[in-house]
Amino acid sequence: MTNTPCPKLAPPSTFRTVSLRPYQQAALHAWRLAGRRGLVALPTGSGKTRVALAAMAATAAPSLCLVPTRALLGQWMKAIAEVYDGPVGCLGDGERQVHPITVATFASAYRYMPLIGDRFGLLVVDEAHHFGNTRHDDALDMAIAPLRLGLSATPPAAGPAATKLALLVGPTVFELHVGDLTGNVLAPLDRVTLRLWLQADEQKELDNLTAIYRHAFHLFTLTHPKARWEDFVHLAGHTDEGRRGVAAWRRTRRLLAYPRCKQRALAGLLAQTRERRTLVFVADNETAYRVAREHLIMPLTCDIGRAERDDVLARFASGQLRALVSAAVLNEGLDVPDADVGIVIAGRLGEREHTQRVGRLLRPGVGKRAVVYEMVVQRSSEVRQAEKRWSRFAATSRPAV
Amino acid sequence: MLPQADLPFRILGATAYFDFLGPQDEPWVAALLVEMQRFEGQRRRQLAERLAEPLPFEAPYHKRRAASRVLMRLWKPERLVGLRPVVVRQALFAAAASSSMTTQQTMLAVANELGISLTTLEQSMFGDLPGERIVRAPSPPPLAGEVVLRTNLAIAQAALMRAAVVDVRIVGATRPIVRLAKLRGLLCVVKEATTQAEPLLEISGPYSLFRHTLLYGRALAELLPHLSWCSRFLLTAQCELRGRLCQITLDNNAPIFPALPSATFDSKLEERFAKEMAALALDWDLVREPEPVKADGTLIFPDFLLRHRIFTDRRVFIELIGFWTPDYLAKKFSRLRASGISNLILCLDEDRICADADLPPGLPVIRYRRRIDAAAVLRQVESMSGNA
Repeated sequence: MTNTPCPKLAPPSTFRTVSLRPYQQAALHAWRLAGRRGLVALPTGSGKTRVALAAMAATAAPSLCLVPTRALLGQWMKAIAEVYDGPVGCLGDGERQVHPITVATFASAYRYMPLIGDRFGLLVVDEAHHFGNTRHDDALDMAIAPLRLGLSATPPAAGPAATKLALLVGPTVFELHVGDLTGNVLAPLDRVTLRLWLQADEQKELDNLTAIYRHAFHLFTLTHPKARWEDFVHLAGHTDEGRRGVAAWRRTRRLLAYPRCKQRALAGLLAQTRERRTLVFVADNETAYRVAREHLIMPLTCDIGRAERDDVLARFASGQLRALVSAAVLNEGLDVPDADVGIVIAGRLGEREHTQRVGRLLRPGVGKRAVVYEMVVQRSSEVRQAEKRWSRFAATSRPAV
Repeated sequence: MLPQADLPFRILGATAYFDFLGPQDEPWVAALLVEMQRFEGQRRRQLAERLAEPLPFEAPYHKRRAASRVLMRLWKPERLVGLRPVVVRQALFAAAASSSMTTQQTMLAVANELGISLTTLEQSMFGDLPGERIVRAPSPPPLAGEVVLRTNLAIAQAALMRAAVVDVRIVGATRPIVRLAKLRGLLCVVKEATTQAEPLLEISGPYSLFRHTLLYGRALAELLPHLSWCSRFLLTAQCELRGRLCQITLDNNAPIFPALPSATFDSKLEERFAKEMAALALDWDLVREPEPVKADGTLIFPDFLLRHRIFTDRRVFIELIGFWTPDYLAKKFSRLRASGISNLILCLDEDRICADADLPPGLPVIRYRRRIDAAAVLRQVESMSGNA
């Protein structure tokens, strides 16, 4: 008699051999040596999914793959179907079937784990950096699966989230950076930073707005000495001074999102890269629609429905559309076909967002050389942000302007 | 529905007290209405951004947030006319990618191709996307007093959507409330009136269910404004607020916006079933809303009674069930059997099952999706009557 819980589903059969590149084999081996628990960190486009498929085939355990979005649900189902002949279960996007190999969105897993948590032996967590400090962590806690494989291009830095993630999935057992694979497995990358200056009236406006929100934050810290910026934004709405401060801060972000200097630079870049497949990254949907109106580039935002989004990506792949503009949808996971120019007008979510965005351009192609144009407004917070977010790419980037 | 963070309430002990809006709030609500009127014809996103910024009047934080959200719902997006925006986008962006014309020239060419004006093309381009839609003020615009009552209703409904158990004691107009609860498909038991107490509706809250919680919560919340039909009511609910279970109480003095009078027909489903059954069961009389049936201390309100015209002792009650769990049905049948009632058929909406367990075998149920098979019900009725 043993109290060790066992998965209730039969093991999957009919997995075909999954061919792996040497570094993927190394990742799988490292995971195996770590007791089949841990996080594999590989750059976007380097084939994390294949590592997971190989792990599923090798362990032959009933497996549950968790993915953050519905778009990724479809991508995973397709990838599994290429190497596995049995039925593939699906939880999410209106589907609710459980089979020895099942793919679920994080939200559905959180919802159904009390019912299915005892059925699987292996848990594959795609984009695992989303776990560690969210309510979805409970989904991993409720699963009995002893084998766990986390996948991420941007594992969390040391801290409470990383510690919790290590408890839920396991520690990072294998990690490669973009610099380790560019030019060989990933497309080589050029980085061009455009250092831009606001016009006098915009700079004055920016300075005034910055003074207002800094003053409001200063007043806030008098009563909340240990407060962070996030605390201020959270509590500011309760006072007029706080609301004014947050409103001023929002306006600075809006101003920096797409000032006149960036508008001119974008027009020039789009004319220059007209024949290449281009992704334009902006800070918010409002700017995405503005860019779309001005340059007639299809926007891909969270407001665009799934059917239209799939159609847009298909037309981008076939060359009917040459450019897409997006705020956050293209940040993560979605398989964007073969884009080779990225124009980063602005971002909101820092280093991780940037790594994911640049990763969209690194899928290898014959003779491909990706280029990222990054716009940075001088005398603004963007200068420091830009320096920070390129830290991961230091090995491969080479500033050109 | 309002998010929990925007609800003005205080928790003392195990009880939550609502801080409803009152006449003292009408001046700033009126000022808020004037502010919103300024955004007539603007994009929804712009209106939302404005409401997040400081307003030119003092207002309690939570109340202002709640009122703003209620008003945002009243400011409806403009109806789209002409071509679907998806079609416009498809044509426009493909044309732009394949030509070297300027933006303006491309738009003009596509507008001509689609047979619409340039202005219509510009409006249609993103006219279906939530933040980009043009908002229009309701006509006539609501008065401050009405907004106050609507906001209070929204606050109470938001709390009910987080309820685990709801009890409602009703005096007067019990039947329409019970009918509405059934029509909304709520898991509801009616306890019989005694000399001391009024009839009691025990309703399962969305937080006691495993899924469909949002849909079910909405259905439960929609019952609230209809309680104003009753001459007196007392609603107590156990709600999950700020991470703990609190009791809330509402009575007929609560300043909430009342519902409009009930419609003649409960639902198209019921109407269609009655029509088909009347045409099929020629030897039977179909009685709508028969007298309630006493069952083990509770009252059951069947939707129909099918009574044979000649053999009048052949009577079968039919009840349509909305949201359900196998456990709920098993308990219901055991109560009926304990009371010696066996002539009841339940029609279950398959799309509204709220748990994964299987239904116990042997229960007289007819499952349906969108339409009840009157012939199947009649076969069941005849088989039960034959056995009787």
